[in-house]
Amino acid sequence: MQKSLKSEFLGITITSPLVLPAGVMGMAFSGFNISIENGAGIVTSKSLTLESRMGHKGPVVAEFEGGLLNCMGLCNPGIVDGLAEIDQFKKHSDIPVIASVFATNTEDFLKLTKHVNKSQTDFLELNLSCPNVFDEFGIPLAASQEEVHNIVKAVKQISTLPIIAKLSPNVYDIVSIAKAAEFAGADALCMINTVGPGMLIDTKIIKPVLYNKFGGLSGPCIKPIALKLIYQTYSAVDIPIIGMGGVTYGEDAIEMLMAGATVIGVGTAVHYRGIEVFNKINNEILEFMEENEYSSVKDIPKLEKLEM
Amino acid sequence: MDKRYTLKIDKIIEETSDIKTFTFKYTLGANPGQFIMLTDFEGGEKPFSISDCTKEEFSITVKRIGEFTTRLFQKCVGDYVSIRGAYGSSFFISKNKVLLVGGGYAVPTFYFFAKVLLEAGANVTLINGARTKAEHVFADRFESLDIKVINTTDDGSFGENGTAVDIAQKIMSQDNFNFLYASGPEMMMKALQDVIGDTNYEFLFERYMKCAIGICGNCTMDPLGLRLCVEGPVLPKEKVEQLTEFGKYHRDASGKRHEL
Repeated sequence: MQKSLKSEFLGITITSPLVLPAGVMGMAFSGFNISIENGAGIVTSKSLTLESRMGHKGPVVAEFEGGLLNCMGLCNPGIVDGLAEIDQFKKHSDIPVIASVFATNTEDFLKLTKHVNKSQTDFLELNLSCPNVFDEFGIPLAASQEEVHNIVKAVKQISTLPIIAKLSPNVYDIVSIAKAAEFAGADALCMINTVGPGMLIDTKIIKPVLYNKFGGLSGPCIKPIALKLIYQTYSAVDIPIIGMGGVTYGEDAIEMLMAGATVIGVGTAVHYRGIEVFNKINNEILEFMEENEYSSVKDIPKLEKLEM
Repeated sequence: MDKRYTLKIDKIIEETSDIKTFTFKYTLGANPGQFIMLTDFEGGEKPFSISDCTKEEFSITVKRIGEFTTRLFQKCVGDYVSIRGAYGSSFFISKNKVLLVGGGYAVPTFYFFAKVLLEAGANVTLINGARTKAEHVFADRFESLDIKVINTTDDGSFGENGTAVDIAQKIMSQDNFNFLYASGPEMMMKALQDVIGDTNYEFLFERYMKCAIGICGNCTMDPLGLRLCVEGPVLPKEKVEQLTEFGKYHRDASGKRHEL
């Protein structure tokens, strides 16, 4: 029997369970184009703010053996120009788009939601968890059950689109945060955002490598953390999870599915394996399905849920 | 994994009042057309084309434009800067008769390229253009290579009188070239595209770059989504012809579009 990667996410059929996450290739409509040509099933915009942001000064990325540090600093062209890029993409593509938005208070999230309602976007992601703007905005909202609940609840009342809450791994009790989002009306969760933040030092110039000093950690080294948090969350909530964090090969994607993810984000691996990474992982998932005689992605078994 | 190298500046040459060449003793192993990212960890990391690369050392030639390059111009021999790369695509190495068309501070990358072309056995003609004599660079270094050089300035203050595109049009009407390469202001390349007929070509592009490793999406070219830091900065004719933003607009650090 023909194996298929066709999946479903929040009632929409997708050609691949692989998601281009926020912050990766999502600045211009053409970044979406090249990602779907290479096999992504859903694409996400850069996190958009009410006004445009230039982001942090460079270096904004720093590599080490296990992964990548980044501190882009929420650079984006602003909600109006960002949605125009999405609309331009949607003129010639049926691939679903997630508009990611970032704000620091409910009022601004509501303003952003009103803009997104008027666009061709399919899903609204609330970025509650950017780790790289601490100096400017302080502790991410995703660290507080109460903040997460209040924002999701307010946005849910006016959003015409399903809402995805993007959660931070850098919290003591992920389950209570995830449940707060679900209880407030989130339709799905996206996790994990980058870990840490962390830092690296140049030993000759004796300065932090990143100009922002600290940056969120991504890549293979965070996969075990992602799997654990997704598994705990999956055990506790009934809404679907976009699982991400260090997914580089098909095997990693399968692990994400087994931990409880419905679809899988692939970000940093675009650097390791090229923009073709989506098709490469798609094929690796298909090979796994072939070997184990699963005919569709949803037949791949999940772990038994944790006792809560 | 891409490595970062923190290197001492080995040599500085003042080319014009606003253009300097920095040389580093380091085996970079770059190909012509590629670039490095450079930072001093004082705020900012910028891409620079490689203007020379031998087994022992490499050079970049920098125009002073903003805050970052102004700080770089204050550095002395022996000061540290940190680089990563070389990144991106490189020029096709033709063995035939080729024409290089360069403008302003984008010309020096052709010095590295011309040396590689000569090694491959190509017959090289270079149009080295600038707006005015004070901005014209590398005339002496190209003189030392076994290539045909036509120096030109828009105001006639050095070499021929005319733009690099004017001169290209003139000599292409007198002679046939198998391949054309351009490195210069985007509007120069746009004008060039209109006058070179069926000749095959590659152009070297410039866009705002941040990560330089193909992730952030800041330098993608519409509508193909080519990442200038990975699939570029050198793009072949068949790609250039499909670019809707070529000669029209670019994106700044926020991703906002600006007309060229």
